Amino acid sequence: MIPSYLPTTTVGSFPKPPGLLAARRKYRRGQLDREVLRELERQATQEWIRRQEELGLDLLVDGEQYRADLVTFFAEELDGFRMAGLVRAFGNRYYRKPVVIAPVGRRHPLLVEWFRFAQSLTSKPVKAVLTGPYTLAEWSFNEYYPARRDLISDLARVLREEAQDLVRAGARYLQIDEPAIHSRPEEDFELARAALAHITEDLGVYTIVHICYGDVARIYPDMLRLAVDQIALALANTRFTLLEVFRTHPFTRDVGLGVIDVTRHRVETVEEVVSGIQRALEVFPPHRVHLSPDCGLRTCTMEEAVAKLEAMVEAARLVRAMVP
Amino acid sequence: MITTVVGSYPKIPDLPAPGRWRSAKEKRERGEISPEEFLQVEREVTLEVIQEQVEAGIELITDGQIRWEDPQTYFAQGLTGFTLDGLQRWFDTNMYYRIPVAEGEVLWTDPITVEDYRFAKAHSPRPVKPVITGPYTLARLSQNQYYATFEDFVLSLALALNQELRALDAENPLLIQVDEPGILRHKADFPLFREAMITLTEGVRAPLALYTYFGDVVDIYPEILDLPFDVIGLDFVAGPRNWEALEKAPFEKWLGFGILDARNTRLESLEELVRALDRVSRYVPLDRIYLNPSAGLEFLPRNVVRAKLHRLVEAKRTVLGVGV
Repeated sequence: MIPSYLPTTTVGSFPKPPGLLAARRKYRRGQLDREVLRELERQATQEWIRRQEELGLDLLVDGEQYRADLVTFFAEELDGFRMAGLVRAFGNRYYRKPVVIAPVGRRHPLLVEWFRFAQSLTSKPVKAVLTGPYTLAEWSFNEYYPARRDLISDLARVLREEAQDLVRAGARYLQIDEPAIHSRPEEDFELARAALAHITEDLGVYTIVHICYGDVARIYPDMLRLAVDQIALALANTRFTLLEVFRTHPFTRDVGLGVIDVTRHRVETVEEVVSGIQRALEVFPPHRVHLSPDCGLRTCTMEEAVAKLEAMVEAARLVRAMVP
Repeated sequence: MITTVVGSYPKIPDLPAPGRWRSAKEKRERGEISPEEFLQVEREVTLEVIQEQVEAGIELITDGQIRWEDPQTYFAQGLTGFTLDGLQRWFDTNMYYRIPVAEGEVLWTDPITVEDYRFAKAHSPRPVKPVITGPYTLARLSQNQYYATFEDFVLSLALALNQELRALDAENPLLIQVDEPGILRHKADFPLFREAMITLTEGVRAPLALYTYFGDVVDIYPEILDLPFDVIGLDFVAGPRNWEALEKAPFEKWLGFGILDARNTRLESLEELVRALDRVSRYVPLDRIYLNPSAGLEFLPRNVVRAKLHRLVEAKRTVLGVGV
C-alpha cells in the first residue's frame, strides 16, 4: 500500500527512448514487425518500472510506452474509429485526431495485458490509466452519431467493461483522464459527470479523475460531485494561482496535486516544489494531498522527466520531514 | 461572390511527410536554432500554404497565420505590458494557448503583422487579407492585473490595435479582417464592444471585415450591422441561429458566409452547399457574399482542408454557372 501522507505518483505517460521512437516510425511505414515493436515496448516499460522504483515513487504507472497519445491508442483499439491525421494541441504538440465513423465498441480488453505485465515487474502498486468517455468524444471528429450524448454513453459503456476487466486483473487504483471535461461545462458537465459515474460505479477500487489546464474555476465546486476518490489537477503550470479557486469551497475529495510543469523544459528546483506543496497544504486538508506532475511527461526528454521527478520526490521527502 | 478563408491553415503536411515547422519549433524552444533560422522555416511553410489555397481556387487568401502560435499570444507578445502564463483552452476547441497576463500598460510600439502581410503579398498571385485578433477577444482571453476595470483594458487594447490597423492600412490591402469570436459569449458587453470597435477602426481607410465564429449574433442583431465594418462574418455551422438573425432585419453589408464546417472532417456535399447559398441569397444578394469556412482551418488535417476548400470553390462555380 502507499504511504498515507503525501504519497507520490505520476499522471501516466513517460517519454519513449529514442530506439522505441524510431521503431514506431518504422512500424507505421510497414517496415517493422508488430512483435518486434511489442518487445521494445515491453523493454521500455520494464525500464520505466525500474526507474520509478529507483526514484522512490509510491504509486507506479506502466508509462504508456505503447500509446502515441491520450486518444490514438483507444481509437485504434476500439471499433468505430478511423484516424484522420495530426492536429495541433498547443505549441508544437500534435496528436492524431480520430474520426468516429461507426458505433463504438470493444473487441477485446485494451489494457489488461499491459497492466498485468507492469504489475508483475514490481511489488509496488501500479495504477491503471484510461482516457475518459467525454474526452475521447471531444477529441475526436464525430461523423457518425447524430447526438454526441449517444457517442459519450456508448464510450462510457465500453470503458466500464474495460475498467471491470482491469479490476478483475488486480488493479487497485484506476485513473480516468478527462482533460476535456470543462470544454463547455454549461451544456455538458452533467453529461460528462454521468458518463464518469457509470464507469466508476461499485468498482470497489480507488478511483481518480485527472483534469488539466482549461478553466477549472468554471466547474468548481461542481467538480466535487464527480464519482471518484481523487481529483488530480495541474497547479504548477499556472504557478499555483489555481489554489485561490479552491479557497471558495472546502475540497471534499482527495487531490492529486500537480507540482511539476510538464509544458516547460526547465527543471524545477526542489525549493520551488517545496514552496508549492506548502502553499497547497494551506488550502487542502493535508491528509487528502497526493503529489504528481501536472500531466503526463511524454513530451519531456528522458533526462528532463527523470530530473523533474527527482525534484518532486525530494520535495515530498522534505515536506514530510517537516511535520512535527 | 468571393471565396476566402477565415485565417489559419494547418502548419504541417499530412503524414508521413515530415512536419518541418514542428521540428523547427522544437529546436527553437531548445535554443538549437536562431530566431532567423526559425523565421526562414516559417516563411517556407507560408509559401506552401499560400500555394495550397491558390491551387484550391480560393480568391482572397491569408498567410495561413503560420507565425501565430495561436490568435492570442501572437498579439500579446507584439505589444508591451503582457507576460505569458499557463495553458488555457481556446474557446471549446482542442487547442490550448498560454494565457497572456497584462502586468503593465499595453502599448503598441512596432507593427506586429505588417512584415507577414508584405511577405505573403509579395509571394502570392492572389490578393492577401491581413487578419488581426480584435481587442475585445484579446482582453477576454487574457488576465488583467494592471487596469482598474475590464472596460479600461479593452479600450486600451483597442487604442493599441488601432495603431496596428493603421500600419496595415498603409500597405493598401483590399480588405483587413478583425476577429472577434469573444463577443458571442458575452453579448451583454455589446455597448463596450461598440465603443472598442469605433476606437479600433478610427482613421482606417481600407475596407474592414468583422468576423465572429463559434456561435450566433441573434441577441446583438441588427445592432452589429451599425459597427464601422463593411463585411460581417457569421458562422452558420456552430451558430445555426444566425439564420434567425437574418430574419430579424435586412442585412445591408457584405456577409462573410461561414458555411463549411472548419471543425469536422465530414466533407459537405456540393448539394448542401448549393442549397445553403440559395437560402442565404434570399437575405443577401450573392454579389455581396464572401464564401468561407466557419472558422480558421487549423483544427483539421491538411488533406481534409484541401478537399473542403475545393468543394467550397466548386459550390461557388456551380451556383454562378461558371465552368469548373
